[in-house]
Amino acid sequence: MADIPILIKGSKNGLNIYIDSRADISAIRQAYDKKLQAAKPFFSGTKVNLSFIGKEYSEEEQKELISTSERYMTLGEVRFFAEAPVSRDASRSTEQDQETSHPYEYFEDIDEGMTKFVKGTVRNGQRIYYDGNIVVLGDINPGGELVAGGNIFILGTIRGMAHAGATGNAKAVVVAFCLLPSQLRIAGKIAMAPEGGMEKPQYPEIAYIRDNQLIIEPYLPRKG
Amino acid sequence: MGEVIVITSGKGGVGKTTTTANIGTALALEGKKVVLLDADIGLRNLDVVLGLENRIVYDMVDAIEGVCRLKQALIRDKRFEGLYLMPAAQTRDKNAVTPDQMQKLCEELKDQFDYVLIDCPAGIEQGFKNAIAGADRAVVVTVPEVSAVRDADRIIGLLSANDLHSPQLIINRLRADMVKRGDMMDINDTIDILGIDLLGVVPDDEKIIVSSNRGEPAVTESSSLAGKAYRNIAKRIMGEDVPLLSLNEENTLMDRLRRFFSGKSNSSSI
Repeated sequence: MADIPILIKGSKNGLNIYIDSRADISAIRQAYDKKLQAAKPFFSGTKVNLSFIGKEYSEEEQKELISTSERYMTLGEVRFFAEAPVSRDASRSTEQDQETSHPYEYFEDIDEGMTKFVKGTVRNGQRIYYDGNIVVLGDINPGGELVAGGNIFILGTIRGMAHAGATGNAKAVVVAFCLLPSQLRIAGKIAMAPEGGMEKPQYPEIAYIRDNQLIIEPYLPRKG
Repeated sequence: MGEVIVITSGKGGVGKTTTTANIGTALALEGKKVVLLDADIGLRNLDVVLGLENRIVYDMVDAIEGVCRLKQALIRDKRFEGLYLMPAAQTRDKNAVTPDQMQKLCEELKDQFDYVLIDCPAGIEQGFKNAIAGADRAVVVTVPEVSAVRDADRIIGLLSANDLHSPQLIINRLRADMVKRGDMMDINDTIDILGIDLLGVVPDDEKIIVSSNRGEPAVTESSSLAGKAYRNIAKRIMGEDVPLLSLNEENTLMDRLRRFFSGKSNSSSI
């Protein structure tokens, strides 16, 4: 953070711009300009909501940041949060508003979003946590744990534990070429492997919540 | 310049020490200069299995602390040309040495020997960290039991976190009859979970217990199937391509002919 006082992250409400509170405004503006410059094609054609997080700004400074942004994108809603996660702005708004506009809401992306790729096998005693989706190119062995805010995709066999939608997203899914977990969790639901073990499935499967129940079924209907 | 190989398992009692003693002896019989380093400080056993207990004067900790010269802590096995043991200290604990010191020791031994085999203690704490510190490659020993395979998996993860990638696997104490009945995990089940290369499979053999108690490694007995498996493993460590040996004891001529004519191999092999 010392060199680059700024960090831009996507969220479902738009872009969150995290700023090092120790950096001075000219350094911030410079770094911000540079970042936007690099990502210019990415912003074109859509309206972008911005949340600046991590520093308090004067009226003047806010205007400066907005005008910098405007050079690269069509602005939607712009908000400033002095500090996360409980910001003064958010606490001032109504309670209902707070529910929907909090910048640190749980990860709810289903069709897109931040993704972590894990190359190789997750072994006993290893735990991988990520706020977004997790894709594993390998197996999850017994005793290995995956915890994701979003979906979990395993290009291999899972014999360990997977928790999708760990921050509360009940729409999250767990998909594996060979789904044999010791335990499976989606949001607040927990499913355990049946006593005496499971038959090894011959086709890829998906786990999700339907009617408040955790369901596992083949995701290629013809192969079921 | 030799090679440092750590023999580890995570779980205790799967046969790390026996494996170290037998592979080491087999390598020495192949004409290599080998030192066996017992890293199990406080619970040393390798000296007993090799029958060298009475000859210990100085140990590894003495050598590291400079109480003696490196050479003084090495015990030469008179039965096998080129086989040496560096025993662990029995009156100290795992914290008596640091990974840095072990690394330095391994570097020094590597200059003088073709192979340095380290007998790793059970567990994943200080003793394990010391044992793997100076290793160039790792051999993971497991038995075909769920708990041992779990621990082996954990160990493989830890080895890889310490830059010992692609360790090799020895499946110890396999019982062909139990595998046949479906009462024991077979080789494929084990490899399927651990996903590493197989170095060898050692059948369960009563003779191993007898020879360990006597302090005579089983590889010297030509009649022992386990001894033969260890000899093959030693050859594979040296880079030779040795096929897995047949596991079925009732391997009669009729069986072989039947297999030959049916065109498929239905016997499990190790």
